[in-house]
Amino acid sequence: MTVISTILLISGLIFFTGGSVGILRFPDFYARLHPAGKLDTMGLFMTLSGMAVYVLSDFTVSALLTALKIMLIVVFIFITSPTATHAIADAGMRAGLWPWARTREEEK
Amino acid sequence: MKSIALTSVALLCAVLIYSTMGFPAWGDSDSPASTHVSDYYIENAVNDTAVPNLVTAVLADYRGYDTLFETTVVLIAGLACFFLLRRFKPRQPQHRLYRHIDTGITLIIEQGGKEPTDSEEFVRIDSRWVPYDLVIQQASCLVIPFLQLFALYVIAHGHHSPGGGFQGGVIFGATIILMAIANDLRSAARRVSERLGALMASAGVLIYAGIGALCILLGGSFLDYSALSKLFAFTPVMARSHGILGVEIGVAVAVSAVMIWIYYNLASAGRHEEGL
Repeated sequence: MTVISTILLISGLIFFTGGSVGILRFPDFYARLHPAGKLDTMGLFMTLSGMAVYVLSDFTVSALLTALKIMLIVVFIFITSPTATHAIADAGMRAGLWPWARTREEEK
Repeated sequence: MKSIALTSVALLCAVLIYSTMGFPAWGDSDSPASTHVSDYYIENAVNDTAVPNLVTAVLADYRGYDTLFETTVVLIAGLACFFLLRRFKPRQPQHRLYRHIDTGITLIIEQGGKEPTDSEEFVRIDSRWVPYDLVIQQASCLVIPFLQLFALYVIAHGHHSPGGGFQGGVIFGATIILMAIANDLRSAARRVSERLGALMASAGVLIYAGIGALCILLGGSFLDYSALSKLFAFTPVMARSHGILGVEIGVAVAVSAVMIWIYYNLASAGRHEEGL
């Protein structure tokens, strides 16, 4: 169980790292939302399920309850995080922010 | 200019880091923080108040005055926003927009025109109207009940885990603000009106101070909850525990109402007609 949870935690950290690098490296607002929304959600899912697996390594009823609570956090994150990303992208569109394109750069 | 800013920040950092050398060592038992009253709290809080979470015991019982006036400060913040921003004289609107729900047709009612009442058919929309976002509305509908339940849990469970009145109250206020953002200000104000918010903000402080005054009436000193045992069939220790819960509820009511009140005033620039 510990091995599984370690693998899950490390892969979650890889997702988080990718998300952070993406936020820094991508060219514009919409492209930055992409790693911020997706990779953070996935990284959180991985790390939290790793924690849930770790808690379950000695199986009791209270450990099961704790694992269920952790997975409940994942459910709420899966509802709210894409919604927040959607709202931010929507606000960007409404504020008149155009997506970055290479041709527009070359025209200047 | 940038170099000046960087140098000043670096200098300040150096001063702060240098001043950490004057701190007592980590876990030093002779440091001022752990010599005077901390030992008493750590050794006796559970026996005195039956509250396992020492932070809550210190916050609401031993340092009850401090928290009472913190709650009052929150109320004063709400009042300050109200007095600074609120405009009672409604600006004559140039026109108002009404949307026919079934067809999506928007009616512009010029000033002085006959306005349809909000009903099944027509709904008033903001002048800077944004199309109804189904995703955000449905997601907030899905999440808000759980958030409110969690807020009540945080308030009630402050005895045993991190949490309490301030935290739970903020979460509860945030759910109403989320409702105001996801729909519009008027639909949130229909549920929690400004008047209700102001009344609840005052009532929260009143609950706190009232419990303190009740202790005086029952023969104790102000905020000495063990006096409550004469009114209810509690032991004095459990009376202190329940007194802390009552105080936390007062704090939560005040904080959540003040959050909502400040948001209404800020979002609508004091007019309470159209929100963000």
